[in-house]
Amino acid sequence: MERFIIHLNIADFAVAVERLVNRRLCDRPVLIAPEGAARAAVYDMSDEAYRAGVRKGMALRRARRIAGDAAILAPHPDRYEHAMRDLLRRALPFSPLIEPGERDGHLFVDITGTSRLFGPPVDVAWRLRRQIKTDLGLDPIWSVASNKLVAKVATRLVKPLGEYIVAPGEEEAFLAPVPVWLVPGIEKEDLIRLREFNLLRVSQVNALTLPQLTVAFGKRAGFLHDAIRGRDNSPVQPVGRKAPQIVLDREFGDDTNDRLKVEAILYTLIEQAGRALRRQQRAARSIGIIIDYSDGMRCARQAAAKPATANDLTLFEHARRVLNLAWARRVRIRHMRLVCGRLVFPPAQMPLFPAERDKLAKHDKLTATMDHIRSRFGHDAVRMGRAMAA
Amino acid sequence: MGTSTNHQTQNPPCRLMIGTSGYSYTEWIDGGFYPPGTSSSRMLPLYAATFSATELNYTWYQMPKAPAVDRMRRKVPANFSFAAKLTRTMTHEVNPGNWRGQAAQYRDGIAPLVQSGQLAAILIQLPPYFDRSPGNRRYLAALLDDLDDLPLAVEFRHRSWAEDRVFAELEQRRVALVAVDEPDLPGLFPKLDVVTNPDLFYLRFHGRNAKGWRSGNMQQQFDYNYTDSELSEWTGDKIETMARKACTGLIFFNNHVRAQAPGNAGRLAEQLAANGLLVSG
Repeated sequence: MERFIIHLNIADFAVAVERLVNRRLCDRPVLIAPEGAARAAVYDMSDEAYRAGVRKGMALRRARRIAGDAAILAPHPDRYEHAMRDLLRRALPFSPLIEPGERDGHLFVDITGTSRLFGPPVDVAWRLRRQIKTDLGLDPIWSVASNKLVAKVATRLVKPLGEYIVAPGEEEAFLAPVPVWLVPGIEKEDLIRLREFNLLRVSQVNALTLPQLTVAFGKRAGFLHDAIRGRDNSPVQPVGRKAPQIVLDREFGDDTNDRLKVEAILYTLIEQAGRALRRQQRAARSIGIIIDYSDGMRCARQAAAKPATANDLTLFEHARRVLNLAWARRVRIRHMRLVCGRLVFPPAQMPLFPAERDKLAKHDKLTATMDHIRSRFGHDAVRMGRAMAA
Repeated sequence: MGTSTNHQTQNPPCRLMIGTSGYSYTEWIDGGFYPPGTSSSRMLPLYAATFSATELNYTWYQMPKAPAVDRMRRKVPANFSFAAKLTRTMTHEVNPGNWRGQAAQYRDGIAPLVQSGQLAAILIQLPPYFDRSPGNRRYLAALLDDLDDLPLAVEFRHRSWAEDRVFAELEQRRVALVAVDEPDLPGLFPKLDVVTNPDLFYLRFHGRNAKGWRSGNMQQQFDYNYTDSELSEWTGDKIETMARKACTGLIFFNNHVRAQAPGNAGRLAEQLAANGLLVSG
C-alpha cells in the first residue's frame, strides 16, 4: 500500500513558543541562549537573526555583534515540551502513528489508509495546519510525501513558511535539484567526501551507480544510494509506544566540571537504574548519556553493554566509558541524563572463563546483599564510597 | 469523456468536456474505477483513458510548480485538458500585501499547461464567507484584472453575488460564472444556468448532501450519488442551452467519495448522448 506521511515543522520553534508568551517579541529579532554562562551558545534564533547571519551553536557574544538589536531569552525547555504535547494532541485524532521530535516543533503523522475516513491526505494536512494555527497560534510548514525522508526535505525547502506536496512517484525528480546537505541522514563526513568529489547536488550523486558509490563511501554507499532517490522505509513510530527504557536526570545545582562529583552522581543514577532493572527482571543492552553544558550545547553518546546487565558495578563501568566520550569539552556541565535502553531478560549464558565468572558472581552477590540491606533498613543504610561525593 | 453538441446552427459546436474534480483518490481503487494495485503515479493516464478533462485540486492547497506540472501533463494525450484551481492564498487566505506576488508565481507554475494549450480554465473558487462587500468587490476586480489574459471561471459560494450586475460585469470581462449543483441550503449560491462567457461555460456537481455540507469533512460533504432523474434536471435542457451560448463546456463532478464522481460523470455523458449530443472519445 502506498504510504502518506505528513511532516509538520514549526520553524524556529523555541522562538515561536516564546513569541506566543510575549507578543512584544513578534516584531524584533530574538536569540535564545542560556543566561549567565561565560561561553554561552545560541540555542535557537528568529528568522530575522538567521538572515542577519546568526546560527545555532554560535557563541552568544558573536551573535550579539551580528544582531545587536535582538532580544535575548533564556531557553525554557518546559514551555517547548508543553507546546509539543499540544501539537501532538491536535494530530492524535487523525492517526495513532505520530512521531514527535525532541522539543523541536517537528511531527511526522502517518495517515496511510485513512482517506475513506478523513479525505485526501493533502486535505488532512491542510486541516491539521489550520487547526494548529487557530488553536495554538503556531503556523507550521507542512508537507505530504510517501516517506519521512522526502517529507522532511520538502519542509526544509520551503522554510520558514509554506507547504509542499510531493506526489507518489515524484520523489526522485523532486530531490534531483536539491543540494545534498538538505537530505536527512547525510552526515558531516559524507558531505566532506562528497565535496571532495565536487558532488554538491543530488542529481550529481544520482548519476553514480551503487558500485561506484561503494568505492568512494564504503558501507555508507547503500544508504546514500537510497536516500538520494527518496527511498525510505522507516516507519512512523506509534505515539507513546517508544521502546521501553529507563531514563534518569540530574540537574546540577551549580554548574560543575569536577570529575569526582560528576562520577559520584553518575553512580547514584546507576544505582537507581540498576534497582529499577532488577525489579523489572530486565537487563540493559545499551547505556546512553546526554550532557547539557552550561553554554547550552548538548552532547549525547551511547555504547552497547555486552552482555546485557542489571548489575550496578558493571553498568557503572559502561556508563563511565560513555561519560568520557560525551564529556569532551572543558565547559562546565549543567545537566546529565542517563538512559538505559534495549531492555532484555537477563542473559542465562555465563562467561566462559572462570576469572570472569568469579568476578561477575562477586558483583552480583554484592549487589544482591546491598539490595537486601536497603530493603530492610532503607536506602541510606549502606552506600558505596564512590557515591559519597555526590 | 468529451462530447460535442450536434446542432444545425451557425455557431460552431460546443466542445463539451466531462470529468471529475481531482483524479488521485486511493479509494477509487476500492470503488472499482481504478484496477486493484494501481499506484498514484499511474492514475492520471488511466483516468485520461476515460475522461477528456480534469480539475486540479492540489493547486488550491499548494502553488503549482512548473517542473511537476510539466511532468504531469506529459502523462496524458495532447487533447486532454486541465482546469486548475487558483491557490488558496488568493481566495481563502489572502494576504493583501503579497497576493500579486502569489499571482505571478501561479502564472509561472501553470505555464507548461498554457504553452501546451491544455489549460481549459482557472477556477477561482471563493469561500462561503466571501460576500459582496465593497472590499471583496474591489479585491475580486483587482484579481480578475491581474489574471485577465487567462481563461477564468469564478465560483461564488455566497448568494449575495447572484445579481444581474455581477453577471453583466463578468460578461464584459469574458469570465465564466460557474454554475453549481449543490444542496438547497440557506445562504448558498443558487443553481443557475447563466452563461457569461461565449468562450466557456463551467458546471460543477458537488452532490446534494445537505447534512454533511457544513461538517468540515470532505468525506461527508461530498458523499452523494446522483440519481438519473437528478442528472436529467440538467441534461433535459439546461446543459443544451448553456452549450448553445459557449464554444467550450467544462462539467466536473466533485462528489469523489467512494468513486461516485466518475460513475455519475459517465451516466451524465450517456444521458447527453441520448439527447442528441455527439460523444467524442
